[in-house]
Amino acid sequence: MSLRRFGIAAFALLAPLWNGGLALAEQRFPPPEFETGYKMPAITTPAPRGLAMEYVDVAVLVTALGVAAWLVHRKRSRRGLIVLSLFSLVYFGFYRKGCICPIGAPQNVAYGLFNPDYAIPVTALAFFLVPLLFSLFSGRTFCSGVCPHGALQDLVLIKPVKVPLWLEQGLSIVPYIFLGAGVLFAATGAGFVICRFDPFIPLFRMTGSFFILCLAGGFLLTSLFVGRPFCRFLCPYGALLRLGSLVSKWRVRITPDYCTQCRLCEQSCPFGAIREPLVATANPAALAPDRRRLGWLLLLLPVLIAVGAWGGSKLSVPASRLHPTVALAEKYLDPKKPAPTPGSATPETLALTRADENAEAILTTAAAVRRKFDVGGWWFGGWVGLVVGLRLVSLSTRTARADFEPDRGSCYACGRCYLACPNERVRVGLLSPAEAAGLNANRAASRVAASART
Amino acid sequence: MTAPTVSSPPPPAADPTALRALRQTVLVIAALCGLAVLLLLVQHLRSQADDPLKSPQLLALKQQLLAEPKNEALKQQIRLLDLDLRRSHVRDVAFNAFGAWFVLVGVVVLVFAAKGIARFRVVLPSPHASPDAAERVAVTALRARRVTVGVAAITGVAFLVLALPAKTRLPSSPAGVDKVLAKLRGEGEDAPPLPSPAEFAANWPRFLGPSGAAFVTNAAFPLAFNLASGEGVLWRTPVPAPGFNSPLIWSNRVFLSGGDATNRSVFAFDLTTGTQVWQRAVANVPGSPAKPPEVPDSTGFAASTMATDGRRVFAMFANGDLATFNLDGSPVWSKNLGVPKNQYGFATSLAIWQGRLLLQYDQGEPENNLSKLIAFDGATGRVIWQKPRPVGQSWATPVVYEVAGKPQIATLAGELVIAYSVADGNELWRAQMLSGEITPSPIFAGGLVVAISPSDQLFAIKPDGAGDVTKSHVVWKTDENVPDVTSPVSNGELVFAVTSSGTVTCFDLKDGKKLWEHECELEVSSSPAIAGDRVYVFGTKGGMAVLAAAREARELAKADLAEGVLASPAFARGVMVVRTVKTLFCVADKGGPVLEAKRP
Repeated sequence: MSLRRFGIAAFALLAPLWNGGLALAEQRFPPPEFETGYKMPAITTPAPRGLAMEYVDVAVLVTALGVAAWLVHRKRSRRGLIVLSLFSLVYFGFYRKGCICPIGAPQNVAYGLFNPDYAIPVTALAFFLVPLLFSLFSGRTFCSGVCPHGALQDLVLIKPVKVPLWLEQGLSIVPYIFLGAGVLFAATGAGFVICRFDPFIPLFRMTGSFFILCLAGGFLLTSLFVGRPFCRFLCPYGALLRLGSLVSKWRVRITPDYCTQCRLCEQSCPFGAIREPLVATANPAALAPDRRRLGWLLLLLPVLIAVGAWGGSKLSVPASRLHPTVALAEKYLDPKKPAPTPGSATPETLALTRADENAEAILTTAAAVRRKFDVGGWWFGGWVGLVVGLRLVSLSTRTARADFEPDRGSCYACGRCYLACPNERVRVGLLSPAEAAGLNANRAASRVAASART
Repeated sequence: MTAPTVSSPPPPAADPTALRALRQTVLVIAALCGLAVLLLLVQHLRSQADDPLKSPQLLALKQQLLAEPKNEALKQQIRLLDLDLRRSHVRDVAFNAFGAWFVLVGVVVLVFAAKGIARFRVVLPSPHASPDAAERVAVTALRARRVTVGVAAITGVAFLVLALPAKTRLPSSPAGVDKVLAKLRGEGEDAPPLPSPAEFAANWPRFLGPSGAAFVTNAAFPLAFNLASGEGVLWRTPVPAPGFNSPLIWSNRVFLSGGDATNRSVFAFDLTTGTQVWQRAVANVPGSPAKPPEVPDSTGFAASTMATDGRRVFAMFANGDLATFNLDGSPVWSKNLGVPKNQYGFATSLAIWQGRLLLQYDQGEPENNLSKLIAFDGATGRVIWQKPRPVGQSWATPVVYEVAGKPQIATLAGELVIAYSVADGNELWRAQMLSGEITPSPIFAGGLVVAISPSDQLFAIKPDGAGDVTKSHVVWKTDENVPDVTSPVSNGELVFAVTSSGTVTCFDLKDGKKLWEHECELEVSSSPAIAGDRVYVFGTKGGMAVLAAAREARELAKADLAEGVLASPAFARGVMVVRTVKTLFCVADKGGPVLEAKRP
């Protein structure tokens, strides 16, 4: 698909999100002006900014993505990516306090699509779309040096422990499940769970609930020894970028010239993203069991979707309780609810009093939300079944490779592997052509050996 | 494939001094960061008790203040404790912020030092040829499939663990919600049945009786009775608290309320003996103002007549307190509706319809948009609906009646007679017929809503219209001898109105034609009542007159009670109960009240 066609398709798909206008931050009831000079504290984090500053955020994002793409594909500079990561960590992380952030943006989009009353802010839409568009051309450049979450994990990585590839590949469905849950809860208006359980936002804001701070500490400690644990095993936006990266126009190349098959790059990647060469099987008959398995898995796919959808439909009751109105309605209908005590009003008793005075509206709204979950549960469960099924199918196919290459979906374009390649070292002048002379012989010999086997 | 011959550049040579320094730095920073995290943790646990919103000590003091609202020392103690807690909270926040920065800087240094150590410890890669790539890929894929299945299984188990124990009372369907709401309103299948219309008619459950027209049939009382001597009086008992509200009768109980700026109570008396059965203070009502409003003595705090749905009694006071008790005196619910803005004090009485309590809560001026009509669920106090009213303060009590099987509630205030649907509160019709300060209440008799514009006109409206019916549904109107305070009463054929100067005028309900008038020589501020073929009129200075409820004027009796009456009498179960300014007394023919076998 040409870029123009893609642009038209994207516009057609996302046009409903505009809802006739931009959502601008505006206080419904302006606060009073205090004669004492008292300043009203900001009640949101980060504090609302002028629209112009939000466009500055978008401009910074686009610029950073462009710089990252240049550093990854043209400059091939790990050092430059480190500097960019530090900038992103400071700007998007500690200065903008992790919001707005592409990781949570799919929820804005889902909420906008399923709630006509919500006009998605143009900045949220941009933060959702722009990194995805970049992934279609330059792979996961957002992850490489623009995402503050990835930057934080990458910069604190001290002694990487290699996670077995089979474990990594098996767990790679978790981000898709998390993404599905995030979309479900956002579309039903229950809340933005991806943001609520983001372990790094409390670090950027240096505050948070006890639970989420413990979670943050846990992820940070793990990041010292496991490369980007959040990105690899949880990040829902990374799951989308992985899909975009699979079809990206330009991909990360370890070697600038040809692969010597020295395996040095394989050791350099802390994320286990480099795949070794795999020649096609000479005897197709030997693939029969694999083909049978693939066939069975393809047949199993609709079954998995159906079973998942059925299981998901059973989740509507517990899942909908994350919605505040449903939680209030359930509490209100609970015969064991606390009796109102004169004088000692708590948020809970005040909410129950509110429900008491407006039960019809609250119960009607809660029931409508529950119906959304009834439907959304089917879709979510079906999505889980689809993800599992497609992963099993993809794990039953083989991709032949002639050289050592980064896995297009798993590569974070961090640039660590570049200087591990002797030919790159020759390119940048760290190795003389004479020192690298023996590489040609090795390569030629390996090719001869490979052709002899086939 | 041959073994590679090129490797990464060698790591820097390990300088023992630098390595030792880095190690010590890591250890010290790690210890400091660990200590800081520990202190933050301790601080977090300790600060839980200092939360200004959750402090048990502060909550206990606030609770104590409810019992002692005028305890200034206690208030000061609360203020000081609150200030201390907020100061402590601000200190905690500052400490946490400092701790967070300390840990952040420490972690940055720690990571740098640890990375320095790691650089000294780089193990040079020495990869070897690995010819079995296809087999490794196959094994990896097999294991990955197993992990995928494992993740799917864990997800499935999580689904089941979450879904199986999940029970809910909240239905998804609109019909289910309607069912739950009906149950909340006490209309569910398992709700105790409300009194039948016959049972309702056999009692005096609200101001102006069950029909709202102050009329009971087939009642016979001794015409001659003397409160001082006790002749013809079944019992008499002192009224325990001041109030201008009229008594109610339900089964063998008489209910009334009383009170002042300090205390407000509800009382129940035995209908047979007059003994006070219970008294309940209306106190600790959530939201009740600590400082009572200023209310003229001519109205007082208990001018609103109570109401009962046969299962509970409801009382309203001038400070906005609304309280409910079971017939045995046990409290059910209470709430404060906000102090009504009313220059003479709130005096509108309560209305009832099938378990719903209806309150015309008019206040302020029309432009204030404060007035509203509210329907409460009698069992729970939940607001079933409430509708804003385009009027200011008023003192009339609404009347509930049925038109073509559908209940309406007619209200008077400002210039408007407005009727609403009792089911959902939607306005049905309105007529611009009023002026002045609206005190007389409307009644429903002979299929007509009869109302008074004080000292202006008495009129009747056919209540089957829609929209503005001023010009279309006013059946008749008259300006002869129109009262300014008392409400009209009717036996379904005749309408009687009493002016403050004691002139009783009889009108034909059909056409509003005046049939007769009679001077009772009484000062009257309470609405009369009709029992059988007699109209009872009570004066503010103790006089009483009984007239024939007939097309011709006839005074049947006259008496002096020696105590002024400002409340309307209640007739039920063969007795008449009257509240004077000091006494509650009961007049009965031979045999006393007629009670059913089952008592509350």
